[in-house]
Amino acid sequence: MSDYKALQEAVLKGDIKTALEQTQKAIDAKDVARDVLDNGLIPAMDEMGDRFAKGVAFVPQMLRAAKTMQECVKLLQPLFAEGDITSKGKVLIGTVKGDLHDIGKNLVAMMLEGAGFTIVDIGVDVSPDKFVEKVKETNPDIVGMSALLSTTMPAMPETIEALKTAGLRDNIKIMIGGAPVTEKYATQIEADSYASDAGSAVAKAKELLGIS
Amino acid sequence: MNSSANFYRPLTPANVKRIDETARQILKNVGVKITDDVYLDKLAKLGTIVDKDNGIVRFEDGWLDEMIGKAPHRYTAYSRDGKNDLHMGSGEVYFANGGRVFRILDMNTGGYRLTMLRDIANTAMLVDKLDNIRMYFIACQAHDLKPEFYHLNDFFEAFNHTTKHVMGGCTDIDGAKQVHALASMIAGGDDNLAQKPFYSIITNPISPLTIEGNTLSIIEYCTQRGVPITCAPATIAGATGPATLAGTLAQLHAEALAGVALAQALTPGAKVLYGAVANNMDLRTMELTMGSVEMGMMNAAAVQLAKLYDLPIYGTGGLTESKRPDIQAGFEKNFSNLMVAMTGADLIHLAAGMLDSGNSISYEQYVIDNENIGMIQRILSGIDVTDDTLALDVISSVGPGGNYVMEEHTVDHMMDQFFYPTLGVRSNFDIWEERDRPNMLKGASDMVLKTLRDCHECGEGVLDIELTAEIEAVFPQIDNI
Ligand code: B1M
Repeated sequence: MSDYKALQEAVLKGDIKTALEQTQKAIDAKDVARDVLDNGLIPAMDEMGDRFAKGVAFVPQMLRAAKTMQECVKLLQPLFAEGDITSKGKVLIGTVKGDLHDIGKNLVAMMLEGAGFTIVDIGVDVSPDKFVEKVKETNPDIVGMSALLSTTMPAMPETIEALKTAGLRDNIKIMIGGAPVTEKYATQIEADSYASDAGSAVAKAKELLGIS
Repeated sequence: MNSSANFYRPLTPANVKRIDETARQILKNVGVKITDDVYLDKLAKLGTIVDKDNGIVRFEDGWLDEMIGKAPHRYTAYSRDGKNDLHMGSGEVYFANGGRVFRILDMNTGGYRLTMLRDIANTAMLVDKLDNIRMYFIACQAHDLKPEFYHLNDFFEAFNHTTKHVMGGCTDIDGAKQVHALASMIAGGDDNLAQKPFYSIITNPISPLTIEGNTLSIIEYCTQRGVPITCAPATIAGATGPATLAGTLAQLHAEALAGVALAQALTPGAKVLYGAVANNMDLRTMELTMGSVEMGMMNAAAVQLAKLYDLPIYGTGGLTESKRPDIQAGFEKNFSNLMVAMTGADLIHLAAGMLDSGNSISYEQYVIDNENIGMIQRILSGIDVTDDTLALDVISSVGPGGNYVMEEHTVDHMMDQFFYPTLGVRSNFDIWEERDRPNMLKGASDMVLKTLRDCHECGEGVLDIELTAEIEAVFPQIDNI
């Protein structure tokens, strides 16, 4: 087993170029892909998680580290044995009909992606029909809806209704969020989960799918 | 002209130029995304460089200068009674409340609730009575209304509870049309309204560098009818703008100039304010922080950028992260209001009433901010130095060891030299105890109650009763409260 210090350093810095070089070096040295992941990349991300929790790393650093790790995983992909990596789950996410605010939604998507979820981002001003169409097309585990206007919140229950009518509701979990949205509202419209910020969106998504 | 405005300069002249040059490069090389084919064709005909496949519009320097050259340097935002006509571009600094929140800190319960139509009526009444808030912004979303008629009702309540100039946003062109029809009835016809427009419309580009077709159609509709507009970027450093203040300013300046130029291309001579609502993320957590100190610095710098083109500006100040009218609210609000005022902004919106990073309002905060703005106005009016104010004569006549209490000179100047707070507590200690230890917040609460009670007692609204009846006949959708 090689020493993954340089790789870990690069992941922590979010230096994609060096991280890929280091990953390639490990591949060339015939390291097992699973080892690179378990002893190189994952401990680096754990370290980043710690730093973030202590407040010494900021969100952009964490997102860059996650992105760096993903790029390395892509490089390792063909070498993994079956069962080496599993996506945490697929999240389809969009801002609801009539609403163009997307900063919060994008952050939530980035954090989920960083945490290992597969993201299908369907953009802003997404009608209930479009949600239905995209769910059929991509078959996600979780459907995430964001609304920043109190006036577009009613599009959330409309979308849930449309998913029900299309017979898709039972196969998916629904998570909602956005500044005017509340836990109470989530209960009221029978969404499965509410998250108040991007960090808790990750925790809630894991909870919904029963993973840690 | 206020003598202490144009005093604070966060940017050196050389740096103003560098930011401006960067913005012009952005407009020339990166361009602005326009999400509407009809407008892309129209703008191609009007002389911009259009890349239709990618929906990008680019502005050559010559074109940009020609368009910006058409924008009025001065115009008046009229009040309905002539008492608060605001002369944009005159050097005066005007403060206004801010708009369209969804939550209010309710003084009856001490908790937060969703805003209702009555909150628009009440805040309009407050602004009408508060001397330092010179224009009324539609303060909040009326959650007790049907979406189709938000704007009709918002603006009706605003017009019916203040004669000051009203500014607000419209979700779509239908809203803009309804508001125009309503205002036109009040003005006694489209021509009268175009002559003395007593409301303005806010629109926004979407940072980075995107403008919706819907936004352009509202701009075109309003400016062609003489209604002033702004197209104000709310660029967020670290999210929708670069993490550097200079980078965010360059992008915001490009977006704001694009708004002015496009308005002029669609309607030459359109009354338009260069808009700036700069703010930033707290990068530790990715929380939006509209109350940051950098917000004040950037919005002050934006005034310098607008003034490079001699354009009047829709500036921003007075925001706070705090959820209550407290110490944090006090200093965050006053930093930015003061900085932006001292740079010489024509209009500072969001300056009164706001809490909670731009998401909430409180009535108490309106009256507290009104008082703080009074102090800022006092700072702006400066220290006037004349033979009379130098007071050599009276100093000579009083001489060593006397006092000035009963001098005529004192009586002559007691009203023109000092700001007298109404809410700030100034009594000596014993009197303070005797009066049951008053504090500013309690005073603010009492003042809100009294103002609203007086207004409710004095009748329905400020619009003529017959006119109101006519309006209600024409617009049955108006839910007069
Ligand atoms: C799926 O699961 C999840 C889980 C968690 C989820 C989630 C989904 N989605 C979000 N979360 C959560 O995690 C995120 C990260 O921690 C958080 O996301 P947030 O989105 O809350 O937080 C972001 C990281 C930062 N926050 C934001 O990005 C919003 C900031 C504010 C200033 C804001 C902005 C920037 C904009 N705006 Co708009 N805007 C305001 C906002 C006021 C404010 N102070 O918040 C608000 C929301 N806007 C408002 C309004 C009225 C409008 N805006 C409009 C436009 C815009 C801009 C284009 C200028 C710009 C958006 C740019 C963009 N690309 O998104 C217009 C509407 C356009 C439309 N149809 O959508 C317009 C109508 C303005 C107008 N012309 O009059 C107000 C809403 C009032 C209401 N009724 O609810 C508003 C409160 C400002 C105000 N006081 O007027 C959490 O909520």
